[in-house]
Amino acid sequence: MNLFLQQLVIGLSIGSVYALLAVGYALITSIFNFTNFGYGAVMMCGAFAAYFAVVKLGFPTLIGLVFAIIFAVFISLITELVAYRPLRKRKSPRLYLMITAMGFNIFLLNLAVVLLGANVRYLPSTFSTDSIHMGSIVVSALDVYSLFASLISLAVLWVFLYLSKQGLAIRSAAHDTDTAGLMGINVNKVSLIVFAISGITAGIAGTFMGMKYTVYPNLGDIANKAFIASVIGGMGSLPGAVLGGFILGVIETMVSGYISSALRDLFSFGIMILVLIFLPNGIVGKKVQDKL
Amino acid sequence: MLYIFSIIVFVCVHGIAVSGLSLLTGYTGIFSIGHAGFMAVGGYAAVVLYKNLGVPFLLAVVLGGFIAVIVSVILGYPALRNKLEGDAFGIVMLGFVTVVRVAISNIKPVLGGAIGITGIPRLSSVWLVILITAIMVYCMRNFIKSDYGKNCMAVQQQESAAEMVGVNPLRTKLRALMISAFYGGVAGGLFVFYATFVSPMSFAEAKSNDLLAAVVLGGMCSLSGPLMAAGILVILPEILRFLAVWRLVFYGLAFILIMLFRPDGLFGYREISFKWVGRLYHKIKAGIGERQKRTGRG
Repeated sequence: MNLFLQQLVIGLSIGSVYALLAVGYALITSIFNFTNFGYGAVMMCGAFAAYFAVVKLGFPTLIGLVFAIIFAVFISLITELVAYRPLRKRKSPRLYLMITAMGFNIFLLNLAVVLLGANVRYLPSTFSTDSIHMGSIVVSALDVYSLFASLISLAVLWVFLYLSKQGLAIRSAAHDTDTAGLMGINVNKVSLIVFAISGITAGIAGTFMGMKYTVYPNLGDIANKAFIASVIGGMGSLPGAVLGGFILGVIETMVSGYISSALRDLFSFGIMILVLIFLPNGIVGKKVQDKL
Repeated sequence: MLYIFSIIVFVCVHGIAVSGLSLLTGYTGIFSIGHAGFMAVGGYAAVVLYKNLGVPFLLAVVLGGFIAVIVSVILGYPALRNKLEGDAFGIVMLGFVTVVRVAISNIKPVLGGAIGITGIPRLSSVWLVILITAIMVYCMRNFIKSDYGKNCMAVQQQESAAEMVGVNPLRTKLRALMISAFYGGVAGGLFVFYATFVSPMSFAEAKSNDLLAAVVLGGMCSLSGPLMAAGILVILPEILRFLAVWRLVFYGLAFILIMLFRPDGLFGYREISFKWVGRLYHKIKAGIGERQKRTGRG
């Protein structure tokens, strides 16, 4: 029972980071109707920015987090301005957008391998790294921090989306991008805000994942898990993305705890394939119209 | 000489797989980031059939292709029936290639786990591989030129319109998927019997990127373009060995630049043809005869 509770807390902590990343995917999917396969690379860039700030420049982790967010937003906006916007302007098919996004992922990942090396780097944390005793279960403090940081970011994002004017614009664009444009919403501005938000989530997630798993160029593969989470929850749906993230995180830790950690990826991709085949709209299962 | 031969074999094997992917991604418009999974299934199936069940070599390769087809139907029918579009199907394929790799790495008894299977006899000779490639590419060309191929293009460009004029999109997509899976499986089998070993990393995600790169570079609605690109992508890294680490960086950059500036690929809708030889011949003949005979184009 103790093992179960412990795995559950770890699972929720990983799941919260997945949820954060999945929201980044879902926002872009809901508005532009394509999957940003370059997202993992953005997250990896954020993690490297945090690494340089903390290890090379000697800043505390919190400043490293800020560095990560700024750099990830920067990269995210560059991908939008350089690649996606010209393609959208030309009304290219979705296939081309996806290939471009794939290209960004391959480009940034391998650029990092060539310039920085494929080895793993330890990202120290200036937070306390002790374990926390909660009753009879023991969890690492880092897991608890990342759980709270993700939950707070999700709450802030929710407030922004539902209580601010820009949030209203984003929600209407997600509902119907073309009509929102006709109603006087500046869709290009909305796209910048959305890519900035996804950069912020990537930066936060990158820093925490870097502290948990070390920093290396393939760190972005974790974003694939987040994509799975957003598919499980329902593509383009924010509540679905959060739900899917938590479900996937818990399932993964349970599989590694009870069955085998080698089979973890088999289970997560297998579940995704099953969900896609039997519940193509995801668990939340809403129609395309009510996405937010 | 052996080195040249092995490059030729790799070009041919890539060519087979790329012509399959070209039908799926280029002509039918189904995004697949995990096509190497079919190569893995075909390759492993062929080896197991040959080694453990004593099936003759060529039959084993063909059966490996058919096993890849069966896998593609199991995966593709429910996915395509639910109208999984673009990115969702792409990620299913990414999941597929990952599942295949992880599953094979963890099955020790027959498949050898992460180490793979070694000591496979080198049965596919260069000439055989060239012959098979020629036959398969010719069949693919005929398929694309047939009504079936035109259905595929119709589905890619306007699915609802195609459905309105009586093209069954599900059947068309599934047919394209099955054929491309067969091509991938046969390519995997031939590769394995030339390389004499197979491991889960032989057909990992990076291989899928190689195949997709050839289709994107070569042209979305062309067969000869991707084939040439496949050749270039195999030969170029051999010549530019010192740039080997930059290869994937270049791929990524090429994806972006091509989509931005030449989205139809280097060849677009065109094919390499030798019709101009005929035209030239007619022109010369007309010139000699000093008559103003104008022959029709081609």
